[in-house]
Amino acid sequence: MKEINKIVLKDAAKRLLFDMSEEEYDTLLNEFDVVIKQMELIGQIEGVDDYEPMTFPFDCATKYLRDDIPTKPLSKEEALRNAKNKSAGQIKLPKVVG
Amino acid sequence: MEFLDLTIRELHNELLKKTVTPLDLVKEAILRAKADNNNAFEYIMEKEALDLAIKLKEPEADNIFWGIPFVIKDNFSTKDVPTTASSNILNGYVPVFDATVVRKLMDAKAIPIAKTTLDELAMGGSGTTGHLGTTFNPYDKQHENIIGGSSCGSAASVAASIVPFALGSDTGDSVRKPASYAGLVGFKPTWGRISRLGLFPFATSLDHVGYFTRSVFDAALLLNLLAGRDLEDSTSSDVPVDDYTKLLNTDIKGVKIAIIKEIVDSIYDKSINAAFQKTIASLKIRGAKVEYVSIDRKLLGALFPTYVVISCAEATSNNANLDGIKFGPYHQGNTYEEVMNKARSKGFSELIKRRFVIGSFCLMRENQEVLFLRAQKVRKMIVEKVNDIFKDYDAIFLPASPTTAPKLGEASDRLSDEYLIADNHMVVGNFGGFPSITLPLGFKKNLPFGGNLTAKPFNEAKLLQIANVIEDITGFYNLSVRNKKI
Repeated sequence: MKEINKIVLKDAAKRLLFDMSEEEYDTLLNEFDVVIKQMELIGQIEGVDDYEPMTFPFDCATKYLRDDIPTKPLSKEEALRNAKNKSAGQIKLPKVVG
Repeated sequence: MEFLDLTIRELHNELLKKTVTPLDLVKEAILRAKADNNNAFEYIMEKEALDLAIKLKEPEADNIFWGIPFVIKDNFSTKDVPTTASSNILNGYVPVFDATVVRKLMDAKAIPIAKTTLDELAMGGSGTTGHLGTTFNPYDKQHENIIGGSSCGSAASVAASIVPFALGSDTGDSVRKPASYAGLVGFKPTWGRISRLGLFPFATSLDHVGYFTRSVFDAALLLNLLAGRDLEDSTSSDVPVDDYTKLLNTDIKGVKIAIIKEIVDSIYDKSINAAFQKTIASLKIRGAKVEYVSIDRKLLGALFPTYVVISCAEATSNNANLDGIKFGPYHQGNTYEEVMNKARSKGFSELIKRRFVIGSFCLMRENQEVLFLRAQKVRKMIVEKVNDIFKDYDAIFLPASPTTAPKLGEASDRLSDEYLIADNHMVVGNFGGFPSITLPLGFKKNLPFGGNLTAKPFNEAKLLQIANVIEDITGFYNLSVRNKKI
């Protein structure tokens, strides 16, 4: 398991696209003391590696294609309704290319 | 007794007799919602509900939900009604479609009267972390005890008799634990039994739609309406829908019920143990075969960490769309990354950020094998053990929680068996997608506590049959703070 320190936590927060305060990182580091001890319990289970990872409770495969029936899509107004920054019928963001 | 103190089935009979109208019910429900002092509501749908109620004139004998008011946890999409999941990052968000469960209820002419509070983004179990603050337990007028979460506002609404039922969601035990603390029936059917379209995802492999009622019969009625394949949710099941009331009021002679010894052994509360044993004795008198079974204590001790790893990891990706651009408060920045960073930094509470960092840590390349994949293997191991139990038994019966509603801020030893096993065993229902129901078992110092029944997937009819017998044994039918039976 990767060693826990503030640099690792800051890297995780950066990847998640948010900032935290130094105090918040301290709280998180303390929390990890218990979290790591709990996670170590997972590693103590004998024979666990004989099992396949379970990603869903059970298979629920969709084995057919829907009929190609036209439906009414969202209107442009509805699609844009919740965006706060928009212009000329599009969502507006800072320039990406100079 | 006033009309809103009745169950769905009883209210339907009054509506048919025209002793009350949907408009009367909605007006009264809104009055009660406005008088609520438990912080149960994000948004009261006064105008919307009155507009719907006024149109309902002629009762429909074959439609039990006609004119029945209800509330919706605020992580279900509701068209044209603000929906925040109790998170600042969704302040001002107004969905453009209804969740399938909301649509089904409204098509049946049930009337939503409010959106209810939750732990932020449903990622909590205390009912204290939503952006409007703590939601309180109606059984505790002093506001010293939690109601539990994450479906806190929905539980408070039904326990306070503001409505006869409420929609919730359950990823770990977010319907079934608050049901225990609030003296309610809290039911999460099989994973895929009810469409999740429009439910904000937290951990997709564990998320279930669930709901609160004040009787087992009402829980069965709701499943009759809500169950079924939804072409817009590819994880919804096409297993045929049953009539879930068909086995209610039939005897349980020969029904086999398992008790997991190690979980019961981790519960130290004498009142809870006594009520649980008394119920077992009554089940035996009624002809059920009740036996103890065993699961390795170490495996049970890994339940909660397994849940933390899987749920936090899945949550990091499920919430990646919360960026302040398409919806939610927008913050100016020089780059789009800065815009998103500001929205997420200001929009998420510290607790949510910590959960996301834990999830991200579990997914780091160096940790994936030892944490994430291993947690998924432990999940498989546990589910296989439980499926083995279901080869010989119809259901597993356990206390839903080791205590009544804890006091606010009360800390527990997070490495003790009581916490790791007794307080979190209901995640098994999410791991295996098993149908699982909590219902009241007793009271201690005026606070309720519940029992929990779990069955194999799609065996809801049998599960509800046993639950109905337990309700008959305890006499805790239609319990609320206004209909106390203590």
